Amino acid sequence: MTPELIQYLESIKLKARLEHADETEVMSELEAHIQDKIRELMESGLTEEEAIKTCLGEMGGTRLVARQIYEAYSQGSWKQVLLTCMPHLLFGLLFVLNWWQYPGWLSIVLMLTLATTIYGWWHGKPTWVFSWLGYTLLPVLAAGLSLLYLPRVWSLLALLVYFPVALWWLFRIIVQTNKRDWIFSSLMLLPLPVMIGWFLAVSESGKFTEHSLQLVYYFAPWIGLSFIALALTIAAFIRLRQRWLRVALLATSGLLTVTLIVHYTVGRLDTFTFFGLILVMWGVLLVPALLERRLRSGRRISFK
Amino acid sequence: MVIRRDLVKGSSNSLLLSLLELQPMYGYQIVKELEAKSQGYFKFKEGTLYPALHRLEKSGLVTGRWQILPNGRQRRYYYITDKGLAKLALEKSQWQDFFKAVKLILQPGPSSS
Repeated sequence: MTPELIQYLESIKLKARLEHADETEVMSELEAHIQDKIRELMESGLTEEEAIKTCLGEMGGTRLVARQIYEAYSQGSWKQVLLTCMPHLLFGLLFVLNWWQYPGWLSIVLMLTLATTIYGWWHGKPTWVFSWLGYTLLPVLAAGLSLLYLPRVWSLLALLVYFPVALWWLFRIIVQTNKRDWIFSSLMLLPLPVMIGWFLAVSESGKFTEHSLQLVYYFAPWIGLSFIALALTIAAFIRLRQRWLRVALLATSGLLTVTLIVHYTVGRLDTFTFFGLILVMWGVLLVPALLERRLRSGRRISFK
Repeated sequence: MVIRRDLVKGSSNSLLLSLLELQPMYGYQIVKELEAKSQGYFKFKEGTLYPALHRLEKSGLVTGRWQILPNGRQRRYYYITDKGLAKLALEKSQWQDFFKAVKLILQPGPSSS
C-alpha cells in the first residue's frame, strides 16, 4: 500500500465514523477492491502511479464514499431506540409520577444508570451507552452543588479543588467519546442544559431550599415532560440516517426544550438566563465538535 | 444527466439483486459484470457500491461471507437470500408493468389512436 492509498482509506475511515467491528470489515473490503483494481490496471499496461490515480478517480471522493457508508450504518434498530431513550424516559417518569421525592426510587434509577453505563462502556461503547453516560454526570453535578452548603471558606476551598477535577474528568469522558464520534458527546451532554435550566428555575439565588422542593413538586410534570421530549428527540436521532439532519435535530430540540422551561416557569427565568441557557446548549453541541477537530489535527501533525 | 443518474439510483437494488441471482460475487466482480452486461451504461463511483451492498445486507436481502483464496487473499462474496429472491421477483414484475406502460405511451399502437 502506497502512502496515497493509505491516506485515501484513512480519510474514509475517519469520515465514516463506524463502530470498530464494522470499520474493520468495510475497510478490508475497500482495500481488497483497490488492490484488485490496481493489479488489473497495471496488467493492462499502466504504471503504478497511473494505476493508483485512475483507481482513486473511479472509486469516488472520500467525502462521498464515507457519507454513503455512514448512512448505510447509522440507522439504529428499534431495540437501540428503546435502549437509548430509556434513561430519559426513566428520569421523565420519576418526575411525572412524582417519585423523585422517594430516595429509594432515586437510588434505584441512579444505580441502574451507573450499572448500564459501566456495562456498555466495557462492551464496545455501543450508541445507546452515551445517553446513559449523560445521566451519570448527575451525581457529579449534585456533589458540586452540595459544596455550596459548606461554611463559606470551606465552600470556596472545596470548589477550587472540585471544579478543576470535575472539569478534567468531564474533558476525559468527552475525549473518549469523541474517539467514536463527537455527535455522541453532544448526545451525552444533551440533558445538561435542561438540568441547569430547571435547577435555576427552582433554586433561590443558586441554593436549594425548602421552597425549591415545593417548586420541584409544582413543576414536576413539566420537568418530566422535558425529559420525555428528550427521549423523543433521541428516538428520532437513532432512526435518522443523514448526519446533517441528526445535528439539526439536536440543535432544534435543545432550543425547544430550553424555551419550554422558560415558558412553564413564568417569570422565574429572565431573558439573560434564557440566553445563558442557549449558550450552554450551543456549547454542548459545538465544544465536542471543535475538540474533535483539534484532536484530529493534532494527530495529523504528530503523524507527519 | 440527472435523469439517468436518478434512474440508476432508483434501480440499483434490482440491478445488484439480479446479478447476485446468477451467482455469488464479490464487490469488484459486481462492478465489472454490471459494466460489461450493460455495455458500459452502468458506470458509477465504485466506492459507493459497498454502502449499497451493505444496505441490502442490513435488510436481509443478501448475505456476505469472507472467503480465503488459494493465494491467501480474502474476498467478501455476496449471496442472495430467499428474502432477496422474493423481493427481486416483485421488483421484476413492477419493472415489466412499468416498461409496458411506458411503451404504450412512447410507441402507441394502432388501437390507441
